[in-house]
Amino acid sequence: MNRLIAALFLLCSLASAQYDFSLQIMDESENRSRAGTQQYEGTLEVISAGNKVSIKRWEYRRIGSNGASKAILRFTAPAEVKGVALLIVNHTDRSSDQWMWTPAIQRDRRIAAQDRSTRFFGTDFSFEDLEERDVDQFDYKFQDEETIGGLACWKIESKPRQSVSSQYTSSMLWIRKDNYLAAQIENFSKDKLVRRIRYSDIQNVSGTWTPRTVEVYDANRKSRTVLKLEKLEYNVPMKDEDFTLEALRR
Amino acid sequence: MILLKLISWPYVRQHLPRWLLTIAGIVLGVAVFVGIHTANQSVVYAFHQTVDRIAGSTQLQISAGETGFDETVLDHVQAVPEVRVAVPVIEAVVSTGVQGQGNLLILGVDMTGDRSLRDYDLESSGADDDIDDPLVFLAQPDSLMVTDTYARENHLGPGAKVPMSTMDGQKLFTIRGIMKSGGLSSAFGGNLAVMDVYAAQKVFGRGRKFDRIDLALKDGANLEDVRAKLKTLLGTGFQVQVPSARAQQFDSISRVYTLTANVTSVFALFIGMFIIYNTFQIAVTQRRTEIGILRALGATRRQIRTLFLGESVVAGLFGSILGLLAGIAIARGMTGYIASLLGEIFGIAQKADEISTNPALMTFAVVLGVITSVVAAVIPARSAARVDPVQALQKGKYQQLSAGENRARRIAALIIAILAAACLLFERYRIFFYVGDALAVLAALLLTPTFALLLARALRPLLRWMRPVEGTLAADSLLQAPRRTSGAVAALMLSLALVVALGGLTRASYDSIFGWLTVALNPDLFVSPSQSLTQRDFRFPESMGAQLRAIPGIGEVQLVRDARIEIQGKPTMFVAADIADLRRHATLPPVAGNTEEMFRLASQGKAVLASENFALLNGFKLGDVVDIPSPSGMLHLPIAGIVTDYSDEQGSLLVDRALYKRFWNDSTVNIFRIYLAPGAAEADVKRRILDTFGNQRRLFVLTNRDVRRYILRLTDQWFGITYVQIAVAVLVAVLGIVNTLTVSITDRRRELGVLQAVGGLRNQVRGTIWLEALAVGTVGLILGLALGALQLYYSLHISAEDMAGLRLRYEYPYPIALWLLPGILLVAFLSAIAPAETAVRGSLVEALEYE
Repeated sequence: MNRLIAALFLLCSLASAQYDFSLQIMDESENRSRAGTQQYEGTLEVISAGNKVSIKRWEYRRIGSNGASKAILRFTAPAEVKGVALLIVNHTDRSSDQWMWTPAIQRDRRIAAQDRSTRFFGTDFSFEDLEERDVDQFDYKFQDEETIGGLACWKIESKPRQSVSSQYTSSMLWIRKDNYLAAQIENFSKDKLVRRIRYSDIQNVSGTWTPRTVEVYDANRKSRTVLKLEKLEYNVPMKDEDFTLEALRR
Repeated sequence: MILLKLISWPYVRQHLPRWLLTIAGIVLGVAVFVGIHTANQSVVYAFHQTVDRIAGSTQLQISAGETGFDETVLDHVQAVPEVRVAVPVIEAVVSTGVQGQGNLLILGVDMTGDRSLRDYDLESSGADDDIDDPLVFLAQPDSLMVTDTYARENHLGPGAKVPMSTMDGQKLFTIRGIMKSGGLSSAFGGNLAVMDVYAAQKVFGRGRKFDRIDLALKDGANLEDVRAKLKTLLGTGFQVQVPSARAQQFDSISRVYTLTANVTSVFALFIGMFIIYNTFQIAVTQRRTEIGILRALGATRRQIRTLFLGESVVAGLFGSILGLLAGIAIARGMTGYIASLLGEIFGIAQKADEISTNPALMTFAVVLGVITSVVAAVIPARSAARVDPVQALQKGKYQQLSAGENRARRIAALIIAILAAACLLFERYRIFFYVGDALAVLAALLLTPTFALLLARALRPLLRWMRPVEGTLAADSLLQAPRRTSGAVAALMLSLALVVALGGLTRASYDSIFGWLTVALNPDLFVSPSQSLTQRDFRFPESMGAQLRAIPGIGEVQLVRDARIEIQGKPTMFVAADIADLRRHATLPPVAGNTEEMFRLASQGKAVLASENFALLNGFKLGDVVDIPSPSGMLHLPIAGIVTDYSDEQGSLLVDRALYKRFWNDSTVNIFRIYLAPGAAEADVKRRILDTFGNQRRLFVLTNRDVRRYILRLTDQWFGITYVQIAVAVLVAVLGIVNTLTVSITDRRRELGVLQAVGGLRNQVRGTIWLEALAVGTVGLILGLALGALQLYYSLHISAEDMAGLRLRYEYPYPIALWLLPGILLVAFLSAIAPAETAVRGSLVEALEYE
């Protein structure tokens, strides 16, 4: 899950070269969340602006570290979506490749780079939010020190480098001083808030501090999605061949 | 204006029924013009609107005709830096099991990116403005999003099931989203449903192909530059066009139908002109005294002429407005018919429930009606201006306004006839051909009074033999005033010429099509995924061929894939079949080429066979090379043979299936042509096929008889407009004769009065008028049948070279002529009843005082 969290805040970061301090914070944050593999079972609760709630569950498995990782996310509930899966292949120098598998028609489909800004199937995540990006894909700028939920944080602005495509023009990250985890990320498009992501329920799992609850707020739709991580494990043995298109189709 | 109010209006009020008869010509002409055009335009407009609404903010569309293309093309397009969004599309029209709702246009899209192009504007299912669950929508291939209109009309809500035909038979689909009215959801008359493009591939048997890619560009990208770049990137087999170009293809396909509609409309107005001419002649005749008074009071000839022309403008305007209203009513009745006809014939479905009135067309129709009326009134107005006030005011003095034959006109007619014949020498230049036709008609019209006079003379002995007094009077009436009857005779002649030409063309077309159906279309059974053989939305997998071959009683199975592709910018039917298989059953000799050689070359993929209509319409000859764009590059294939094939109205090209599969990477099949094994019973084999596939696949097994009936039904529908033309022609003939007789009676009111005063019986007067009507009918009939023989020649050439590409045999339609003979004489007689009664029931004193 740490990979996902890292992706969520790293993708929109900015820091200019003279603020090495910010980059160091971000490097440290990435290092602390680094793990060879990760798996968990997620419960996804989508709460619409009208308080209509829909719940889904997925299994998440990842191999590799930030920017060079591969992940498969497979829905397990409700029954209508069981088996639908998403393969994400992250790259250090560019946007990820993503494919979706629909078992009912036995078809995989490529999620085009141009479509990454669209919502991830009715949740408040976008496809881009599921990517994991290396810290080097962003420039950072230290802003201030602030307290979020009673926790002291560094407030850092991140902007994607020119070679990196992103729906967000900038992001504001609040990095906790105690464990270098992100407490909150706000993503902007041309100074307009698009999404706010909050991390809570921090627990140490196999030596890695991880938020067990991630809440995404869509500022346009006024809806939110709460992801709860269960059965979280790190460094479980996994094989590369389990993260291919063939594996996705299984 | 004052003269119109003081002089014309009282006359109109006094003779209201006759004036209504006058404007009936204009009403009829304008009504047919507006009706057919509006109906045709409504269908075309509906298609344009559907294309436009579906396009959303799409700036360019990529297609490869109807064959579709591999999914991989999408990746190449999406990789172009200037492309902001590119999404795949599959479009198909399906019939649903929902009663009374007709067809549903299915738009298969990839919902992940498609919302960047199209606004789905979903109905709220609570406070959330989204599909109930987008993931379920994608995960379940039975998901449908329908329009609010469709849902409301059928009392369907989220979760409701809609039965729909799929490649795997009838399936139930679940509504998982409802689009609000307006924009996209008003396309195809609201009968629109959206589904996942990958589910659509499966439902419609598309394999891993898309029909189209819709794309929008990044800000600042130049449309033409990107279009050129994409064309270079994808190759010549792809069309990269703005969305409106797709609608223009429909215009191109329906061109022939539009042309036919134009001919009918112009014809109606042209004939209407002769009716107006006749009725204005009535007015001039009846108002001679009035004109004389005006002239005596100082009115100039010019003022009299202007008065009559002014009346013609008012009559034209009034008639045109009535014609507009009648035309709109006609359009309402015809739009649905034309939509389904074009859908069935061209395989392009559209839904046109509402008529679209085009202000430009309406204005044009009114202007045309007024101009027609004015042109028709020119000669009567000139006659009116020539009225001598002294003679007009003398009781009993009769001035012959209908001056006799004029030598100059005969000479002009002769010169024009020679020019028309000369044009035939250069008929390969189409303009000369059409000018020649127009000149031939003009010569015939100019010669009508002469011929009418000659024929009336020839008829005189016959009429006198039939009824000595009445016959002589009737014949003399025609001989004394040939120009009085020439309008009606000309109208009748033109109408009947049209009936003969159209009848002959229709008969020749039927003969050719029937001959082709009997000899060339010889498989015993056809297995099609659609009841309408022109619909190509569903396709079978190739593997089904082997399954069919295994069914007992089936001797041979031919796999056919047909699709419309763009050749030289025109949508052309492209047919892929195993040529060696076709050869075994080919019975018709080619129109051009050597049978063995052409089949050998075509089966090796080295040549193409062209239908005769393709060759004629596109100017191809044997040996010419056709450039055929395919997704794998341009094919340059020579035409090894030209064959008779009426399967497509625009013409077709036939290639070997192996070649098609290689270049189009498409192994799907539209139709299986089946030949039975010796001794096998057709009904048994049909049942076995249905038993084998009936529950797994959407399929229809049609017998040879079914297909013939289907093609003949389409042919009937196609020629339906011909029957409208014939009906208009007959109606015009009736109006023309009624008018002529009314003029005749008015002109001869005193003569008929004297006849009664000296002891002539009413029945003798009646008999005179009846015989005069029969004589007019006979003269019109003879001239019409003769001009029809000439017009049939022109019609067959126009059909061959410019419309259908069918080279038809000239054969005079004697059966039609034989039907016309009693038919027109009966119509003439019936037309004479009312005028005859008017003549005998009028006041004898007034009649004797007249003039």
